[in-house]
Amino acid sequence: MACSALYRQTKLGLSLVDALDQLVEEGKLPPQLALRILDEYDDVVLETMEEKVTAKGSLKGHLDIYRFCDNVWTFILSNATFRLAPTQGSTRRDEQLVVVDRVKIVVVDQKLAPQKE
Amino acid sequence: MADAGPSNAVVPAQEPEVDLSVHPSGIVPQLQNVVATVNLECKLDLKNIALHARNAEYNPKRFAAVIMRIREPKSTALIFHSGKMVCTGTKSEAEARIASRKYAKILQKLSYAVAFKEFKIQNMVGSCDVKFPIRLEGLASTHAVFCSYEPELFPGLIYRMVDPKIVLLIFVSGKVVLTGAKKREDIYRAFEAIYPVLQTFRKGGMIAAPNAPAALLQQQQQQQQQPLPMVGAPARQL
Repeated sequence: MACSALYRQTKLGLSLVDALDQLVEEGKLPPQLALRILDEYDDVVLETMEEKVTAKGSLKGHLDIYRFCDNVWTFILSNATFRLAPTQGSTRRDEQLVVVDRVKIVVVDQKLAPQKE
Repeated sequence: MADAGPSNAVVPAQEPEVDLSVHPSGIVPQLQNVVATVNLECKLDLKNIALHARNAEYNPKRFAAVIMRIREPKSTALIFHSGKMVCTGTKSEAEARIASRKYAKILQKLSYAVAFKEFKIQNMVGSCDVKFPIRLEGLASTHAVFCSYEPELFPGLIYRMVDPKIVLLIFVSGKVVLTGAKKREDIYRAFEAIYPVLQTFRKGGMIAAPNAPAALLQQQQQQQQQPLPMVGAPARQL
Protein backbone atom coordinates (compact mmCIF):
# COMPACT_ATOMS: atom_id res chain seq x y z
CA MET A 1 0.00 0.00 0.00
CA ALA A 2 1.35 3.37 -0.96
CA CYS A 3 1.91 5.86 1.77
CA SER A 4 -0.77 8.16 0.35
CA ALA A 5 -3.33 5.39 0.87
CA LEU A 6 -2.57 5.08 4.59
CA TYR A 7 -5.67 7.01 5.53
CA ARG A 8 -7.98 4.42 3.88
CA GLN A 9 -7.52 2.46 7.07
CA THR A 10 -9.07 5.18 9.19
CA LYS A 11 -12.72 4.97 10.22
CA LEU A 12 -13.62 7.53 7.57
CA GLY A 13 -11.69 5.67 4.86
CA LEU A 14 -13.13 2.27 5.79
CA SER A 15 -16.67 3.67 5.72
CA LEU A 16 -16.06 5.17 2.30
CA VAL A 17 -14.70 1.88 0.97
CA ASP A 18 -17.73 0.07 2.43
CA ALA A 19 -20.17 2.47 0.85
CA LEU A 20 -18.44 2.35 -2.53
CA ASP A 21 -18.32 -1.47 -2.41
CA GLN A 22 -22.04 -1.57 -1.77
CA LEU A 23 -22.77 0.81 -4.66
CA VAL A 24 -20.55 -1.18 -7.01
CA GLU A 25 -22.21 -4.47 -5.95
CA GLU A 26 -25.65 -2.97 -6.57
CA GLY A 27 -24.44 -1.88 -9.98
CA LYS A 28 -25.07 1.77 -9.27
CA LEU A 29 -21.41 2.73 -9.73
CA PRO A 30 -18.82 1.53 -12.23
CA PRO A 31 -15.75 0.07 -10.43
CA GLN A 32 -13.37 2.47 -12.21
CA LEU A 33 -15.28 5.41 -10.79
CA ALA A 34 -15.10 3.89 -7.29
CA LEU A 35 -11.30 3.65 -7.61
CA ARG A 36 -11.16 7.21 -8.89
CA ILE A 37 -13.11 8.35 -5.85
CA LEU A 38 -10.71 6.56 -3.52
CA ASP A 39 -7.72 8.23 -5.21
CA GLU A 40 -9.45 11.57 -4.78
CA TYR A 41 -10.09 10.75 -1.14
CA ASP A 42 -6.38 9.94 -0.57
CA ASP A 43 -5.31 13.27 -2.03
CA VAL A 44 -7.90 15.28 -0.13
CA VAL A 45 -7.11 13.68 3.20
CA LEU A 46 -3.38 14.32 2.79
CA GLU A 47 -3.98 17.90 1.75
CA THR A 48 -6.42 18.50 4.60
CA MET A 49 -4.09 17.03 7.18
CA GLU A 50 -1.30 19.21 5.92
CA GLU A 51 -3.12 22.52 5.49
CA LYS A 52 -6.41 22.59 7.36
CA VAL A 53 -5.83 20.73 10.59
CA THR A 54 -4.38 23.01 13.22
CA ALA A 55 -4.86 20.65 16.14
CA LYS A 56 -1.67 19.86 17.94
CA GLY A 57 -0.68 16.82 19.84
CA SER A 58 2.33 15.90 21.86
CA LEU A 59 3.36 12.71 23.48
CA LYS A 60 5.73 11.72 26.17
CA GLY A 61 6.74 8.31 27.36
CA HIS A 62 9.57 5.96 28.14
CA LEU A 63 11.20 4.64 24.97
CA ASP A 64 11.65 0.89 25.40
CA ILE A 65 12.49 -0.19 21.88
CA TYR A 66 13.28 1.64 18.67
CA ARG A 67 14.19 0.48 15.20
CA PHE A 68 15.07 2.10 11.91
CA CYS A 69 15.03 -0.06 8.83
CA ASP A 70 13.88 0.54 5.24
CA ASN A 71 13.18 4.19 6.08
CA VAL A 72 10.61 3.20 8.68
CA TRP A 73 11.01 4.15 12.30
CA THR A 74 9.34 1.96 14.88
CA PHE A 75 9.05 3.07 18.48
CA ILE A 76 7.58 1.15 21.40
CA LEU A 77 6.88 3.36 24.37
CA SER A 78 5.58 2.54 27.82
CA ASN A 79 3.66 4.86 30.14
CA ALA A 80 2.90 7.18 27.27
CA THR A 81 0.89 10.35 27.71
CA PHE A 82 -0.77 11.98 24.71
CA ARG A 83 -1.77 15.63 25.03
CA LEU A 84 -4.24 16.64 22.35
CA ALA A 85 -5.09 20.30 21.87
CA PRO A 86 -8.29 21.00 19.90
CA THR A 87 -8.39 22.43 16.39
CA GLN A 88 -8.66 26.18 16.14
CA GLY A 89 -12.27 27.23 15.85
CA SER A 90 -13.47 23.95 17.25
CA THR A 91 -16.16 24.02 19.93
CA ARG A 92 -13.89 22.00 22.18
CA ARG A 93 -11.77 24.13 24.41
CA ASP A 94 -10.28 21.60 26.78
CA GLU A 95 -7.05 19.73 26.22
CA GLN A 96 -7.48 15.99 26.09
CA LEU A 97 -5.13 13.76 27.99
CA VAL A 98 -4.79 10.11 27.00
CA VAL A 99 -2.57 7.81 29.02
CA VAL A 100 -1.64 4.31 27.85
CA ASP A 101 0.63 1.61 29.26
CA ARG A 102 2.17 0.78 25.93
CA VAL A 103 2.08 2.25 22.44
CA LYS A 104 3.72 1.30 19.16
CA ILE A 105 4.43 4.11 16.73
CA VAL A 106 5.32 3.43 13.12
CA VAL A 107 6.66 6.40 11.19
CA VAL A 108 6.88 6.30 7.40
CA ASP A 109 8.70 8.75 5.22
CA GLN A 110 6.03 10.29 3.03
CA LYS A 111 8.48 11.22 0.25
CA LEU A 112 10.07 7.80 -0.01
CA ALA A 113 7.06 5.55 0.39
CA PRO A 114 5.58 5.77 -3.16
CA GLN A 115 8.95 4.73 -4.64
CA LYS A 116 8.90 1.58 -2.60
CA GLU A 117 5.73 0.34 -4.33
CA MET B 1 41.84 11.51 52.21
CA ALA B 2 43.34 13.31 55.15
CA ASP B 3 44.20 16.62 53.52
CA ALA B 4 41.36 18.48 51.92
CA GLY B 5 43.18 18.93 48.64
CA PRO B 6 41.51 20.35 45.58
CA SER B 7 41.30 16.87 44.06
CA ASN B 8 38.72 15.64 46.57
CA ALA B 9 35.68 16.00 44.34
CA VAL B 10 37.31 14.15 41.45
CA VAL B 11 37.91 11.01 43.45
CA PRO B 12 34.95 8.60 43.24
CA ALA B 13 33.23 7.71 46.49
CA GLN B 14 34.13 4.01 46.35
CA GLU B 15 37.88 4.69 46.44
CA PRO B 16 38.46 7.67 48.70
CA GLU B 17 42.15 6.83 49.07
CA VAL B 18 44.31 8.00 46.17
CA ASP B 19 47.43 5.93 45.60
CA LEU B 20 49.95 8.75 45.64
CA SER B 21 52.65 6.53 44.14
CA VAL B 22 50.57 6.35 40.95
CA HIS B 23 48.91 9.75 41.28
CA PRO B 24 51.39 12.13 42.98
CA SER B 25 49.09 15.01 42.06
CA GLY B 26 46.31 13.49 44.15
CA ILE B 27 44.02 13.79 41.13
CA VAL B 28 42.79 10.71 39.32
CA PRO B 29 41.60 11.34 35.74
CA GLN B 30 38.17 9.77 35.24
CA LEU B 31 37.57 7.64 32.14
CA GLN B 32 34.77 9.07 30.03
CA ASN B 33 34.77 6.85 26.96
CA VAL B 34 36.32 3.61 25.83
CA VAL B 35 36.30 2.41 22.21
CA ALA B 36 36.91 -1.25 21.52
CA THR B 37 36.83 -3.44 18.44
CA VAL B 38 36.20 -7.15 18.09
CA ASN B 39 36.07 -9.59 15.21
CA LEU B 40 33.03 -11.88 15.28
CA GLU B 41 34.41 -13.88 12.32
CA CYS B 42 30.98 -14.35 10.77
CA LYS B 43 29.34 -12.69 7.76
CA LEU B 44 26.26 -10.81 8.91
CA ASP B 45 23.01 -9.94 7.15
CA LEU B 46 22.63 -6.39 8.41
CA LYS B 47 19.05 -5.93 7.22
CA ASN B 48 17.97 -9.09 8.97
CA ILE B 49 19.66 -7.87 12.15
CA ALA B 50 18.03 -4.46 11.91
CA LEU B 51 14.63 -6.07 11.46
CA HIS B 52 14.88 -8.53 14.32
CA ALA B 53 17.08 -6.97 16.98
CA ARG B 54 15.83 -4.26 19.29
CA ASN B 55 17.24 -0.74 19.35
CA ALA B 56 18.90 -1.06 15.97
CA GLU B 57 19.25 1.45 13.16
CA TYR B 58 20.26 0.57 9.64
CA ASN B 59 20.31 3.15 6.87
CA PRO B 60 22.68 1.80 4.19
CA LYS B 61 22.41 5.04 2.23
CA ARG B 62 24.11 6.92 5.05
CA PHE B 63 26.27 4.36 6.82
CA ALA B 64 27.11 0.74 6.01
CA ALA B 65 26.66 -0.60 9.52
CA VAL B 66 23.91 -1.43 11.96
CA ILE B 67 23.96 0.93 14.92
CA MET B 68 22.78 -0.89 18.01
CA ARG B 69 22.48 0.26 21.61
CA ILE B 70 22.09 -1.43 24.96
CA ARG B 71 21.24 0.14 28.31
CA GLU B 72 23.54 -1.86 30.56
CA PRO B 73 26.39 -1.12 30.22
CA LYS B 74 25.20 1.98 28.39
CA SER B 75 26.92 1.72 25.01
CA THR B 76 26.60 1.83 21.24
CA ALA B 77 27.87 -0.74 18.77
CA LEU B 78 28.58 -0.41 15.07
CA ILE B 79 28.10 -3.81 13.48
CA PHE B 80 29.51 -4.36 10.00
CA HIS B 81 28.68 -6.90 7.32
CA SER B 82 32.20 -8.39 7.62
CA GLY B 83 31.53 -9.39 11.21
CA LYS B 84 33.72 -6.66 12.65
CA MET B 85 32.21 -4.65 15.45
CA VAL B 86 33.08 -1.38 17.19
CA CYS B 87 31.78 -0.79 20.71
CA THR B 88 31.81 2.75 22.07
CA GLY B 89 30.48 4.74 24.98
CA THR B 90 31.49 2.59 27.92
CA LYS B 91 33.37 4.01 30.89
CA SER B 92 35.96 1.29 31.49
CA GLU B 93 37.86 -1.56 29.83
CA ALA B 94 35.78 -4.13 31.70
CA GLU B 95 32.52 -2.48 30.65
CA ALA B 96 33.69 -2.38 27.04
CA ARG B 97 34.32 -6.13 27.12
CA ILE B 98 31.01 -6.90 28.84
CA ALA B 99 29.10 -4.73 26.36
CA SER B 100 30.87 -6.29 23.35
CA ARG B 101 30.01 -9.75 24.67
CA LYS B 102 26.37 -8.70 25.07
CA TYR B 103 26.20 -7.54 21.46
CA ALA B 104 27.79 -10.81 20.33
CA LYS B 105 25.16 -12.67 22.37
CA ILE B 106 22.34 -10.70 20.72
CA LEU B 107 23.69 -11.71 17.30
CA GLN B 108 24.06 -15.29 18.51
CA LYS B 109 20.36 -15.29 19.43
CA LEU B 110 19.61 -14.26 15.84
CA SER B 111 21.35 -17.56 14.94
CA TYR B 112 24.67 -16.22 13.71
CA ALA B 113 27.68 -18.39 14.51
CA VAL B 114 29.68 -15.58 16.06
CA ALA B 115 33.17 -15.88 17.49
CA PHE B 116 34.78 -13.35 19.85
CA LYS B 117 38.29 -12.75 18.50
CA GLU B 118 40.84 -9.94 18.53
CA PHE B 119 39.09 -7.89 21.21
CA LYS B 120 41.13 -4.71 21.53
CA ILE B 121 40.77 -1.38 23.25
CA GLN B 122 41.40 1.22 20.53
CA ASN B 123 41.01 4.46 22.42
CA MET B 124 40.34 5.77 25.89
CA VAL B 125 39.32 9.25 26.92
CA GLY B 126 39.80 10.63 30.41
CA SER B 127 39.13 13.97 32.00
CA CYS B 128 39.82 15.83 35.20
CA ASP B 129 39.94 19.26 36.77
CA VAL B 130 43.09 20.78 38.30
CA LYS B 131 40.86 23.38 40.05
CA PHE B 132 42.89 26.43 39.07
CA PRO B 133 42.89 28.61 35.95
CA ILE B 134 45.74 28.19 33.48
CA ARG B 135 47.66 30.71 31.33
CA LEU B 136 47.37 28.90 28.01
CA GLU B 137 49.38 31.54 26.08
CA GLY B 138 52.36 31.02 28.36
CA LEU B 139 52.13 27.25 28.08
CA ALA B 140 51.77 27.47 24.28
CA SER B 141 54.87 29.64 23.89
CA THR B 142 57.19 27.65 26.18
CA HIS B 143 56.06 24.22 24.96
CA ALA B 144 55.54 25.38 21.36
CA VAL B 145 56.72 22.10 19.78
CA PHE B 146 53.95 20.12 21.48
CA CYS B 147 51.25 22.78 21.53
CA SER B 148 48.66 24.09 19.18
CA TYR B 149 46.64 26.97 20.60
CA GLU B 150 44.30 28.85 18.28
CA PRO B 151 41.68 30.45 20.53
CA GLU B 152 39.80 31.70 17.48
CA LEU B 153 39.36 28.13 16.27
CA PHE B 154 39.05 26.25 19.55
CA PRO B 155 39.21 27.61 23.12
CA GLY B 156 41.37 24.77 24.40
CA LEU B 157 45.08 24.22 24.00
CA ILE B 158 45.96 21.00 22.18
CA TYR B 159 49.04 19.41 23.70
CA ARG B 160 50.51 16.44 21.80
CA MET B 161 52.62 14.59 24.33
CA VAL B 162 55.22 12.23 22.87
CA ASP B 163 55.72 9.82 25.77
CA PRO B 164 53.16 8.57 26.55
CA LYS B 165 51.68 9.33 23.14
CA ILE B 166 48.60 11.16 24.37
CA VAL B 167 46.75 14.23 23.19
CA LEU B 168 45.60 16.60 25.91
CA LEU B 169 43.02 19.35 25.60
CA ILE B 170 43.77 21.94 28.24
CA PHE B 171 41.27 24.68 29.02
CA VAL B 172 41.64 28.03 30.79
CA SER B 173 39.23 26.79 33.47
CA GLY B 174 41.70 24.09 34.53
CA LYS B 175 39.69 21.29 32.98
CA VAL B 176 41.82 18.75 31.11
CA VAL B 177 40.76 16.08 28.61
CA LEU B 178 43.20 13.29 27.74
CA THR B 179 42.67 11.11 24.69
CA GLY B 180 44.42 8.70 22.37
CA ALA B 181 45.32 6.19 25.04
CA LYS B 182 45.33 2.44 24.52
CA LYS B 183 45.98 1.85 28.20
CA ARG B 184 44.58 3.49 31.32
CA GLU B 185 48.13 3.92 32.65
CA ASP B 186 49.00 6.12 29.67
CA ILE B 187 46.29 8.57 30.70
CA TYR B 188 47.53 8.57 34.31
CA ARG B 189 51.17 9.00 33.25
CA ALA B 190 50.31 11.80 30.83
CA PHE B 191 48.38 13.65 33.51
CA GLU B 192 51.15 13.29 36.09
CA ALA B 193 53.60 14.59 33.48
CA ILE B 194 51.52 17.64 32.63
CA TYR B 195 50.34 18.53 36.16
CA PRO B 196 53.59 20.18 37.37
CA VAL B 197 53.73 22.11 34.09
CA LEU B 198 50.18 23.36 34.56
CA GLN B 199 51.05 24.46 38.09
CA THR B 200 53.78 26.71 36.73
CA PHE B 201 51.27 28.32 34.38
CA ARG B 202 48.66 28.86 37.02
CA LYS B 203 46.86 32.14 36.39
CA GLY B 204 47.46 34.92 38.91
CA GLY B 205 51.11 34.16 39.65
CA MET B 206 52.96 31.15 40.90
CA ILE B 207 53.07 32.21 44.56
CA ALA B 208 49.84 30.44 45.44
CA ALA B 209 50.70 27.27 43.56
CA PRO B 210 50.89 24.30 45.94
CA ASN B 211 53.91 21.99 45.93
CA ALA B 212 55.88 24.37 43.73
CA PRO B 213 59.27 22.80 42.99
CA ALA B 214 62.19 24.27 44.94
CA ALA B 215 63.94 25.34 41.73
CA LEU B 216 60.89 27.33 40.76
CA LEU B 217 60.81 29.14 44.11
CA GLN B 218 64.45 30.11 43.65
CA GLN B 219 63.64 31.56 40.27
CA GLN B 220 60.84 33.58 41.81
CA GLN B 221 63.18 34.99 44.45
CA GLN B 222 65.60 35.91 41.71
CA GLN B 223 62.90 37.69 39.80
CA GLN B 224 61.98 39.64 42.91
CA GLN B 225 65.60 40.70 43.34
CA GLN B 226 65.94 41.63 39.70
CA PRO B 227 63.09 43.92 38.73
CA LEU B 228 64.06 43.64 35.05
CA PRO B 229 63.38 40.05 33.92
CA MET B 230 66.22 38.74 31.81
CA VAL B 231 65.20 36.21 29.24
CA GLY B 232 67.72 33.42 28.95
CA ALA B 233 69.69 34.51 32.04
CA PRO B 234 71.43 31.53 33.65
CA ALA B 235 69.80 30.33 36.85
CA ARG B 236 71.79 31.46 39.91
CA GLN B 237 73.02 28.60 42.07
CA LEU B 238 72.44 28.88 45.81
